[in-house]
Amino acid sequence: MRSVIVLAIVFVMFAVVGPILAPHDPTAINIPQRLSPPNSQWFLGTDALGRDILSRLLHGARWSLGLAFLISLIGLAIGTVVGLAAALGGKWMDWAIMRVTDMFLAFPELVAAVVIAGLMGASTASLIFALSIVGWMRYARVARGIGLSLESRGYVIQARLAGMSPLSIARWHYLPSLLPSLIVVWTGMFARAILGISALGFLGFGVQPPTPEWGTMLLDARIHMRSTPLQMIWPGLAVVACVLAINLAGDSLRDALAERERSA
Amino acid sequence: MLTLQNASVMRGRMLTLDDVSLSLAAGRTLAVVGESGAGKSTLIAAVLGLVKLHRGRIAWNDAPVATIRPALVMQEPRAAFNPALNLRRSVMEPLTARRLTPDPVRLARFCDGLELPRDLLDRRPDQVSIGQAQRVGILRALIAAPPLVLFDEPLSALDAVTQKHTARLIAQLQAEEGFAALIVTHDLGYAAAYADDIAVLRAGRLQEVQPAHAFIAAPQTEYGHTLRDAAFALGALEHVA
Amino acid sequence: MIGAVSGLLLRSVVVLTGTALLTFVLLWNAPGDPALSIAQARYATVVSGDVLEQVRAEAGLDGGFWTAFRGWIEPLLVGDFGQSSVTGRDVWPDLLTAASYTVPLALMGLGIGMVIALPLAILATRRPGSWMDRLAVALASLGAAIPAYWLGLLLILLFAVTLAWLPAMGARTPAHAILPAMTLGFGVAAALTRIIRSGILEARGQSFLPALRRRGVTHRAIGRDHVAPHAAIPVITVFGLELAFLLEGLVMVEVIFARPGLGSFLVSAILARDFPKVQAAVLLTALIFVTINLAIDLIYRVIDPRIGARDA
Repeated sequence: MRSVIVLAIVFVMFAVVGPILAPHDPTAINIPQRLSPPNSQWFLGTDALGRDILSRLLHGARWSLGLAFLISLIGLAIGTVVGLAAALGGKWMDWAIMRVTDMFLAFPELVAAVVIAGLMGASTASLIFALSIVGWMRYARVARGIGLSLESRGYVIQARLAGMSPLSIARWHYLPSLLPSLIVVWTGMFARAILGISALGFLGFGVQPPTPEWGTMLLDARIHMRSTPLQMIWPGLAVVACVLAINLAGDSLRDALAERERSA
Repeated sequence: MLTLQNASVMRGRMLTLDDVSLSLAAGRTLAVVGESGAGKSTLIAAVLGLVKLHRGRIAWNDAPVATIRPALVMQEPRAAFNPALNLRRSVMEPLTARRLTPDPVRLARFCDGLELPRDLLDRRPDQVSIGQAQRVGILRALIAAPPLVLFDEPLSALDAVTQKHTARLIAQLQAEEGFAALIVTHDLGYAAAYADDIAVLRAGRLQEVQPAHAFIAAPQTEYGHTLRDAAFALGALEHVA
Repeated sequence: MIGAVSGLLLRSVVVLTGTALLTFVLLWNAPGDPALSIAQARYATVVSGDVLEQVRAEAGLDGGFWTAFRGWIEPLLVGDFGQSSVTGRDVWPDLLTAASYTVPLALMGLGIGMVIALPLAILATRRPGSWMDRLAVALASLGAAIPAYWLGLLLILLFAVTLAWLPAMGARTPAHAILPAMTLGFGVAAALTRIIRSGILEARGQSFLPALRRRGVTHRAIGRDHVAPHAAIPVITVFGLELAFLLEGLVMVEVIFARPGLGSFLVSAILARDFPKVQAAVLLTALIFVTINLAIDLIYRVIDPRIGARDA
């Protein structure tokens, strides 16, 4: 269990130090060496423009993981605020907020992100916007659900009687109880963001060339499937490895949390 | 002065508090007794404004009760404190909410009066005994000097020795601070020993209100008799009668 | 019951209206001049100012936001999805054609997912913690981590390019549907295995089961009469969640396999900035999604009347 979390941390570290480990410039074009198979100079071969695939993968880690981290944190922030507002803001506020949440849930997240990013024009900024705006609802539901269950707790009633503002009640009495569950949701959303970024990249709506990003690399590699099939394997493997590690880390966190609640 | 006029509370299709009129003068103690399900907790929630009144009104000197920020001492001492925070932060909430800084002399006096060690407030709720937690709860209730304090079964989670001790401390502090106390309890012995008046509640309806000694001597209603006799049989009223 | 149903219906209507409005806000604020892209698509790369204004007026883009919104929503209420701003053709027949490709593919994906997941989950839960169980969990975790577009490419690489057994691109013959359906099905299977497995385990943990066993009710009868209905509720829930996954997968799969369908309809409409088409596709997707979720809510109430009581 612990090993999985360590593994996930290792992947995140890759995003930080990956570019330093890269043997070549990820954007250096080298036409004579194009579509080279893996050899001692190009460990994973080169792409259609002769760029080193390993270096692009390592630099791509920063884009894929870094952006996913950012996006999932934005979602976490929006969702927590929305969920707490619903839980603390009274009956009507709750009703209105939950209907808005339903509206956002009335659409498959990734399809919505494709529509938003596609209409806004392909760029990293619209990618971030699109995936953040569709990625807050789960947090909101969890935050609201736990928030409503806290309403009748003795210490929450005491804080209200003391005259604490809803904001400080949210900060001191709700947030600490929410955090473990929100972190479990966050690991899932982090993994989903990685998938979303590469999916949008693959459709051409995400991070733009020549920036190395795993989905865009896959899009490039697809054309050369017949001649150099391996080129298509690497970026996909990178996505799967990261998503798997993060999902498993999230699972063990969730189990640990359930265990703690059972013993408490 | 706290006044309830024809206060009724509806839960679902049932009146859990049915046309209750009561008053409690500043500095006095009123005990509300009755079996479980009599509407005692609803009465407290109604006074604190935690549930809406179906009919009637509740006021403190003609103003809404909320304006005087009444305090509450709860039945479950530990549940009244956020397990993740130290006790000091929770105790100070009535002051921090008003952006007041605690008066160290007053705090020290309370700690001594409630027999709380000086470092106790820096612990978390699960690191103190139930009795200590309840005394910290009383400390929090009194820290901002509210004119009205509600006690919801303040002794029932405590063991017999701690009960007596805590009851004495509450009475002593009331004498010093002069707050009005509304005590909800099923323990007629406690009510008889410490309250000025006793109100009997049954199925949400007020049965009778009398000065405590008068009630023990001669309950006016049949149900009042039943309650008193049951308490006598248990020996809870020995030291009073 | 009738009150609950009309409440759910009202909620669906509110949600759909909101979705329509949100989509329109998004389109209205999208960068670039929609009139320009329409004019360019119809006439030429260089467009004169007069032509541009004419196009703008035709497309109902010259009024304010609300005028344009009403111009879209009012015909929609009587079932008119409008015309493509690029080709001028009616959107509705094209949308129907696209759906006629997508719906069978989605059903095949679900079918394959069920066929894989159900036996796998049942085998896994025979002895929880056994190697079979762990294998099932591992496969499910792996399946959840593999993006549909990559799986699709791998299947193309294996079955179409290397082995040359199956066609990959387009939708000319039924055989063309095999690889896309497999791509979808594997993803669905991964999620379903997980949920059915935990559903069965949870149902088995119910306190009344040992009592039934003591009374001599057979293992098989317990499974059929008591475990299955309990496992059904999470499965139905997941069907709702899977629907989102399925629709997302469909978009990617249709693009990868160059298949006609709602997903490729939507992506090509976005690329062409063909707003009436985008709106129609978005609204139809939302409608499908809301309708199925509504159906799931109703099924819940039939299986377990306590759910309706809890909401009230």
